Amino acid sequence: MKSKIFMMIMAMSLTFTVGTVSAAGELHIYNWGNYTSPEMIEKFEKMHDVKVTLDGYDSNETMLAKVEQGGSGYDIVVPGDYMIAIMIKKGLLERIEPNKMSNFKNVDPKWVDVYWDKGRNYSIPYQWGTTNFTVDSTIYKGDVDTLALLFDPPAELKGRINMLKDMNDVINAGLRYLTYPRCNADKAQLKELNTMLVKAKANWRTMDYSVIEKLTSKDVDLSQSWNGAAMRARKDRPELVYSYPKEGFTGWMDNVAVLKGAPNLENAKLFINFMMTPEAAGMTSNLASYANGILGSEKHMRAELTSAPEIVMPAGAPAPEFVPPCPQEVTDLYSKIWTNLNK
Amino acid sequence: MVDIATTARRKIIKGIDLKYQPGFSQITWFCIVVLYAPIAVLVLFSFNENRSVTVWTQFSLDWYVKAWENEGIQHAALVSLEVAFVAMVISTILATMAALVTTRTPPYRGMNIAVAVINQPLMVPEVVTAVATLIFFAIIKQATGISGIGYLIAAHTAFCIPFAYMPIRARLEDMDLSLEQAAADLYAPPFKVFRRVTLPLLMPGILAGAMLAFIVSLDDVIITLFVAGPGETTLPLYILGQIRRGVTPEINAVSTVFLGISVILVTFIFLFGKDKK
Repeated sequence: MKSKIFMMIMAMSLTFTVGTVSAAGELHIYNWGNYTSPEMIEKFEKMHDVKVTLDGYDSNETMLAKVEQGGSGYDIVVPGDYMIAIMIKKGLLERIEPNKMSNFKNVDPKWVDVYWDKGRNYSIPYQWGTTNFTVDSTIYKGDVDTLALLFDPPAELKGRINMLKDMNDVINAGLRYLTYPRCNADKAQLKELNTMLVKAKANWRTMDYSVIEKLTSKDVDLSQSWNGAAMRARKDRPELVYSYPKEGFTGWMDNVAVLKGAPNLENAKLFINFMMTPEAAGMTSNLASYANGILGSEKHMRAELTSAPEIVMPAGAPAPEFVPPCPQEVTDLYSKIWTNLNK
Repeated sequence: MVDIATTARRKIIKGIDLKYQPGFSQITWFCIVVLYAPIAVLVLFSFNENRSVTVWTQFSLDWYVKAWENEGIQHAALVSLEVAFVAMVISTILATMAALVTTRTPPYRGMNIAVAVINQPLMVPEVVTAVATLIFFAIIKQATGISGIGYLIAAHTAFCIPFAYMPIRARLEDMDLSLEQAAADLYAPPFKVFRRVTLPLLMPGILAGAMLAFIVSLDDVIITLFVAGPGETTLPLYILGQIRRGVTPEINAVSTVFLGISVILVTFIFLFGKDKK
C-alpha cells in the first residue's frame, strides 16, 4: 500500500517534469480569456522561434491590480481604451513607439490619433466594437437607426425591450437621446434624464446581460447589445437588425501594449509588429468575432465577418464615440440615477 | 371524529418526542435545493447539444470532447494538478508536524498562540491574504530576480496547512495515549514509537487532511488570481477568464469533471474519517 502510493507520487512528479520544451526565446502574454487565436500564436512562435505562454484575465481591473506591483513577469497586455490611458499615466507601459515600426502602415489612420494614446506611442489596435441595440425587423418595420426605439418605443415594441444592466451604457444612450453631453454634471439636465429613463422603463421588459438568450428565446424583440453578441443572436434569429442610431453610440477598443520592465522586451516588440500584419489581425478577428483596425485584414477573415452588418459599419453611420472615465462627482450622480432606476 | 382524535393524539405524541423539531426537515430540504439545484442545472447543460447554457435541445457529449481537445484547458488542468499535488504533500507534512507538537508534547507557553497562528489563513479574509502575498512576492521577485511556479506553490501550501491540520489534530486527540505509553514502556525509542504506533494509527487523519488540502488548492481562485505568474493559469482561473466572452457548455463540461473529482475525494475523506475508530 505504502509503496504503491510512493510509486504514484513518483509517476506523477515525472509527468510534470516532462513536457517543458525549450525555444530560443520566450514571450508572456496576458490577455482576456478566450480572446487569442491559437493559430496566430503558433505562427508567431514559428516565425521567431519564441515560446509563448498565454494567460487570461476577466477584467481590466484584475489585470491592472496584478501588474501594478511590478514583477508580474508578463510582457504583453491587452487593455481596453480607457485602461491604456490610466496605465500610461501610471507609468506602467513601455514607450515602444509602434508608429516607427515597419508594419505601422497597415494601421487604419482613424485609429492612430485616439484619446488614450495620441499618435500611438505605446499601443496598437487589437479588436474593437460598438454598443447599440438589435431589433426584430418583422415585428418593427420602421427605421431602426434611432434611440427613440429604446426611450419612446412604438406600440409593437412596448414591453418587448431588454436593456443592458450597465449604468454607463444606459445613461450614455439616454444622454445622446436628449442631446446632452457625456460625463454630465449638470443637475437640471440629469433631472430631465432621470424622468425620461423612469418613464421609458415602464416599456422595458428586463434589464439583463444575457442578450443572446433573451433574444433567441423570443423573450424580447429588441435588446441593447454589443455588436458581437448581436451577430451571434442573428444566427439563431435571422430577422434581427443591428441599429446604428443617428444620435450616436459608444465604441470600445482593446489595444496591444508592452509592460514596463518586460522580461522579453525585444520579443514583445517583434510581437507588436507582427500583430500589425493583416494576417495576424485577421486570425484574431476570426476567433474573437470583432473588427480589428488593420487595413487589408479582410482577406484573411471568415466571409461572414466581412459581410456582417454588426461588424462592418455602414458608410452613413456616425463615428463611434469613445467615452473616457468620468470624474467621481459625475459617477456619484449617475449612481443615484441608476439606483433609482433599478428600484 | 376518529380521524380527528388520532391526529390529535399524534400531535401530542410528537409534542412529547424531544427529538422532533417542527419545520426542520422542510428547512433542510429548502437548503439542499438552494445549494444543489444550480449545480444540477450546470451538470445538465454540460450535456446540451447546442451552445446555449439555458435552452435545452438534445443530449450530446460534444462539449466534453471539445474541452478535452482544448489546449488551454489541458494546460490549465496540468498546472492545477501540479500545484495542488505539491502543495498537498508539503502542507500535509508540515501540518502533521504541527499537530504532533500541539497534542503530543507537554503544554508549553504560547501553545494556544501557535494553534491560532496555524489556523490564521481560515480567519483572515482571503482577499487580504491575496493582496498581501502579491505585494510581498513582488518585492522578493524584484530583489532576487527569481520567478517561477514556486511562488504559487508556496502560497497554496500556506493556506492548505490549516485544512490539513484540522483532521490530523482531531485524529490525534481521539487516539488513546496508552498505546504509545505502552510502546515506550517496552523500551521503544521515541522515533520507533512514532513509526510503529503513532503514524499507522494517524494515517486515516493524514490521508483525510491531505485530500482536503488537495481540494482546497484545486478550487482556489482569489489568491491564485493574484499570485499566478506567466503560464500558471489554473483551471478555475481559466474558467473565470471566459466570462467576458460568454460561457459555453465547454465550461460546464470542465466544471462537471472538476465537481466529480471533488465529490470522489470528499467521499474518500468521509470513508477514511469513519473507519478504524
